[in-house]
Amino acid sequence: MTPTRPQFLWMYETMVKSRAFEERIATAYFEGKSPVFNMANGPIPGEMHLSNGQEPCAVGVCAHLDAADFVTATHRPHHIAIAKGVDLDAMAAEIFGKKTGLSGGRGGHMHLFDARVNFACSGIIAQGMGPAVGAATAFKLRGEKRVAVAFIGEGAANQGAFHESLNLAAVWQAPVVFVIEDNGWGISVSKAQSTAVPHNDSRAAAYGMLGHRVTGNDPAAIFAVAGDAIARARAGGGPSLIEIETSRLAGHFIGDAEGYRPAGEKDALFARDPIPALRGRLLAEGMMSEAEDLAIVKRAESAVEQAIAKARAAPFPAAAEAFDHVFA
Amino acid sequence: MIPVVIPPDLWEGDAEGAVSAWLFAEGDAVRAGDLIAEVMVEKTSYDVTAPADGMLQIRIPAEIPFKRGAIIAAIG
Amino acid sequence: MTATATILPNRAKRNLTIAKAMAEALAQEMRRDPSVLVMGEDIAALGGVFGNTRGLLEEFGPARIRDTPISETGFIGAAVGMAAVGMRPVVELMFVDFFGVCMDAIYNMAAKNCYFSGGQSAVPMVLMTSVGGGYGDAGQHSQCLYGTFAHLPGMKVVVPSNAYDAKGLMVSAIRDNNPVIFMFHKALQGMGWLGTVQGSINDVPEDAYTVPFGQAAIARAGRDITIVGLGATVHLALDAAEELIANGIEAEVVDLRSLVPLDRATVNASVKRTGRLLVVDEDYQSYGVSGEIIASVVEAGTVLTSPPRRIAFPDIPIPFSPTLERPALPSAEKIVAAVTDMVRGGR
Repeated sequence: MTPTRPQFLWMYETMVKSRAFEERIATAYFEGKSPVFNMANGPIPGEMHLSNGQEPCAVGVCAHLDAADFVTATHRPHHIAIAKGVDLDAMAAEIFGKKTGLSGGRGGHMHLFDARVNFACSGIIAQGMGPAVGAATAFKLRGEKRVAVAFIGEGAANQGAFHESLNLAAVWQAPVVFVIEDNGWGISVSKAQSTAVPHNDSRAAAYGMLGHRVTGNDPAAIFAVAGDAIARARAGGGPSLIEIETSRLAGHFIGDAEGYRPAGEKDALFARDPIPALRGRLLAEGMMSEAEDLAIVKRAESAVEQAIAKARAAPFPAAAEAFDHVFA
Repeated sequence: MIPVVIPPDLWEGDAEGAVSAWLFAEGDAVRAGDLIAEVMVEKTSYDVTAPADGMLQIRIPAEIPFKRGAIIAAIG
Repeated sequence: MTATATILPNRAKRNLTIAKAMAEALAQEMRRDPSVLVMGEDIAALGGVFGNTRGLLEEFGPARIRDTPISETGFIGAAVGMAAVGMRPVVELMFVDFFGVCMDAIYNMAAKNCYFSGGQSAVPMVLMTSVGGGYGDAGQHSQCLYGTFAHLPGMKVVVPSNAYDAKGLMVSAIRDNNPVIFMFHKALQGMGWLGTVQGSINDVPEDAYTVPFGQAAIARAGRDITIVGLGATVHLALDAAEELIANGIEAEVVDLRSLVPLDRATVNASVKRTGRLLVVDEDYQSYGVSGEIIASVVEAGTVLTSPPRRIAFPDIPIPFSPTLERPALPSAEKIVAAVTDMVRGGR
């Protein structure tokens, strides 16, 4: 399965938008946190987990989904949210803790929910997997052609929820695809230190489901493998597990000194940054002109600028609003 | 007076059963088909319904063992 | 008045156990609403270890009555996802003691996703779970943990003491748009192998009805003391109240029925009338339901004629041996002694 030109351009623009978004978020995050870095200070308090470098995973998978499909993401959710079509303005406002945010400032960056496009998050490792199995099972029970996708990191593959969810999905033949973004690091612990097998796609065999590994952090390759898995799930062929080799260009969170990385790793990762790589391919293969590239970048940046500006200008929720929505 | 009999084929073997719960009290009015008792044999539970309308007279109180075919109550 | 009218009751009594009342509520709601389904360990062919899903597989089939692997993290997590896309799953956690293997799905997702979504995404699911000891099953199959669940925001928590309430609370739980923890006590369930408290078996109308959350019941009226209980301890309190008559003491028994929301008004009004408060809870004593009830009454400024007291499970794991476990449990004898002391001793 090869992306069409419009699909390639959508993937590229979405990756550019996600990167631009995170750059603006990182800038805002540091405001008020210098010279002393206090996480509680500045317009964006709390932890901040950036996904720069992992954009190909989000676009290669979400290119096959529409709003009715259900996605669960992690503590590192921005790229997936943007690719799934979560409202960018409301998402930015949420990250700034504003009244106009997705949940009016109750969730923040690790708990982004947009019911309009069936997007949910959990900040707890691997815990989005069970809900994805459940949503997929509901679709199957009702005879709907919808699928669910759970995104997780490679560190999540050692959690109980990972194994229970794979087994349950296989037993129930649920239309769900589990996507592992393997950036090689669980905070500071390398995959080699934490994981008994070199590649987690091999674990699919233990549950009688198909497993695939995609190397190269290449959106077109991810698109192809995810497309097959999602089409199979939609057609009633059951669940799949995909592990994608990707790269975390930032630290685990902003402020992470990354002393655990081997010398030279970051430089090597930046040399393989997937966005310039895709730009080069699209230009070289004549799928995008320089002028189109400029237009795409401009459009993406202006959407981001607008979202951030609206978020900054939006009012904070009143203290009493903390008491709303505890119950439906 | 209509007896409430535990069917001789309700379970196999020589195990004894017992009423785990009488759902009505002595002297209560019951109607045919009402669930009146639950009988336990080891960890399996069986429902006993009233064979007729009338007044319940309990012959074997809860938790007293009996064999298959026992008359555990009468409806009068 | 005709002769027949004096013979026939208006409606024959229809006494059920809590197990049967729960199964009836589930069946009626499943007939009414195709989005309701039941999942859990041994709930289909076996009909539930505690009998509360008996007969459902035969009527609704394996797609809606789903036996799960022994995999609470997986299937309770799955219930959260089902609820997010329009189903109303009822899941069974066989023993509440098993919450340790799946609590993230319960308190970090089911309980918080409505809040995290700013109300966009409700989580209409029921978690039904057995509680309680007294039958020698030791410390991992005997706990109540009422306070543990009631403490965490975002979940409603109900505890029926009888079959009528069990059916009505279950219907309310299924129709509620929030996660509801439905905690049923094993000694009240009507399973012979766990003993059966006769008072839990009562008249249950056949038609579906609701018992609203947040409304405690006055299980017995009295003027001298308010005894607050929930689940099995309601029956201990009722037994004690019966005995106390001989001592010339009239005890009022309040059955909380729901912990979240908690009907503080009914408790306060009762204590205002009686001037005395004893809370009887089978859950651990410290940081729990008994302390919350006493605090609520004291905070309301209710004037007490003797200091409030509680009888609860001591702060120890639940021991196995009967000579260790039984003395640690609340009992009617303990209630009679405490009440007599409070009323006669003036303290």
